[in-house]
Amino acid sequence: VTPETATRNLNVSQAIAEAIGIEMDRDPRILVLGEDVGRLGGVFGATRGLQKRFGDKRVRDTPISELGFTGMAVGLALAGYRPLVELMFVDFIGVNLEQVYNAIAKNHYMSGGAARMPIVLKTAGGCIGSAAQHSQTLWGLFAHLPGLLVAVPSCPYDAKGLMASALESDDPVVYIEHKGLLLSRSRDFEHGAQVPEERYTIELGKATTVRAGSDVTLVTLGRTVLPALAAAQQLAVEGTDVEVIDLRTVVPLDVATVAESAARTRRLLVVDEDYLSFGLSAELVVRVLESLGPAALERFGRHALPDVPIPAALTLEQAVIPSSDSISAAIRALA
Amino acid sequence: VSAVLTLRERFVWMARMRAFEEACLEGAESREIHGELHLGIGQEAIGAGMVGALLPGDAVVSTHRNHLHAIAKGVPLRPLLGEIYEREAGLCRGRGGHMHPFDLERNFSATGIVGSSLGVALGYAYASWMEKSGAVAVGVTGDGGVNTGAFHESMNIAGAWKLPLVALVENNGYAISVPMEGNSATATVAERAPAYAAWARRVDGTDVEAVAEAFAEAVQHARSGRGPALLEATCYRFQGHYEGDFDLYRPKGEKEAALRDLDPLARAERRLVVLGEATDADLAAVRESARAEMQELLAEIRSQPLPDPRGALDYVFVGSGG
Repeated sequence: VTPETATRNLNVSQAIAEAIGIEMDRDPRILVLGEDVGRLGGVFGATRGLQKRFGDKRVRDTPISELGFTGMAVGLALAGYRPLVELMFVDFIGVNLEQVYNAIAKNHYMSGGAARMPIVLKTAGGCIGSAAQHSQTLWGLFAHLPGLLVAVPSCPYDAKGLMASALESDDPVVYIEHKGLLLSRSRDFEHGAQVPEERYTIELGKATTVRAGSDVTLVTLGRTVLPALAAAQQLAVEGTDVEVIDLRTVVPLDVATVAESAARTRRLLVVDEDYLSFGLSAELVVRVLESLGPAALERFGRHALPDVPIPAALTLEQAVIPSSDSISAAIRALA
Repeated sequence: VSAVLTLRERFVWMARMRAFEEACLEGAESREIHGELHLGIGQEAIGAGMVGALLPGDAVVSTHRNHLHAIAKGVPLRPLLGEIYEREAGLCRGRGGHMHPFDLERNFSATGIVGSSLGVALGYAYASWMEKSGAVAVGVTGDGGVNTGAFHESMNIAGAWKLPLVALVENNGYAISVPMEGNSATATVAERAPAYAAWARRVDGTDVEAVAEAFAEAVQHARSGRGPALLEATCYRFQGHYEGDFDLYRPKGEKEAALRDLDPLARAERRLVVLGEATDADLAAVRESARAEMQELLAEIRSQPLPDPRGALDYVFVGSGG
């Protein structure tokens, strides 16, 4: 880290826009489509400045026609382009999922390997008090559908590096940025705060250990890494040493890193801002048990959004979204 | 520059298209094709009417009933029929099947989801517009597909941005079992065009010469940079929606009349004879030669192996084998 990069205090949106700009400079086949991505630079600013720099053909404001412009991305990919499609909120996936899971996810397979779909579906997820239709994460939904890679950055450094990797990937990537992080600045983060100005990538499918520990393995991703680190600090005071792993991507799922840690601690807690049932938390626990054998864990637990629409009132929201307090309680239950 | 074909040449295309579809029909009956099969028998004038109007750089994105458009775009018959017959040597190594042929070299693909073809064609149209390549993109749909949101969204974007999109609507009268008048607020599809600032025409889609002339005009309009074209071609589907469909929803008399009056091959034959350009014997020979061509192809494909089950997980991701 040079003194210059150390002083950069980017927010996550700026880190993402920087990555997209670098990749668009590098590869003229990359273009950006979506609502308010051009003139406004994205409702969270994650494409700010790109239209001015690359023109309104490569950074295209679209009508509110998600199915239409996601279909366009499929045609553009077949024609040799590498489109980044912005779906403003992941909750809107109901209107364009058809092209995402029937075309983007399947065309490589259905064409016997001939067609490639190097498309990034960039979308904002996560809870910021906007209730049931604007707060979901839904990465488990995309992970369930074969053919999609799913990246979920937790910090400015990863936001930039994972976006670069997503735009470089020949496979489609659903890139879920957390609304609660987009406007957070480097100084708000204890991990991954420094963002180098130059280009770098983060391998898709490699989790990272953000806090080493020996008593409990806590696995999470996205914004929840922050309250998980806070909970780990609290538990350290109480004498429990928590290892915190940030998955970074849901697909590929880095079972090896988690299993290596869980084999040492014999206690595994998965904390997930996505819905509890049929999702990431159970999948990860089962895969770790498949990898290590059923006797490898003394305790395991899942702490996720209960199977309920996300409520509007703050008191109700706090009752269902994992927080540092609720994560601490979940760790104590395992320790 | 579009090639001008004679009626006789278009009749040959139609005869080959029908013989191709009949070769597929055999596979449905024998269960060599084990899934749904949607045939375009009765709709050959549209496929054959497209021939000659498109350039190699143009794109065609078709539907679940796509064989004739593939042939019109120049997709080679051997891998196409091989794919329909689920062969490893098929266009998509047997992974796509008859509803999802991809020929990237010829900018041809299809989707089995009604309405979704238009958005994909729009992507090709946007690429052409950015590159100023002069290429057009044809999105095929039907009288069912035009009632999807995808149709509206795609036509609106094409109109707003003046993209070179040709929406080719094969109006065969029925969205599976529901007739057009039960589904559409307008009596025709073409009359919706002003809402999208689109050129439009409605043509008798069983008259191959009329289709050829109208399709060439639609392509010309889109190529000239004046925005999208909407061509509605009326026709009658002679088979069920899929092979195995009991087809009890269409009045018997209506179907008999259509077979008598709206068979595009018979119509072309009658006209060629009236014009003195062919005799009944010539035309029978054309049909026979098309049948022989497709039977020979089918025999070859039947000798090809089915995909090795060990490859079932290949091609999910670019790096995942195959």
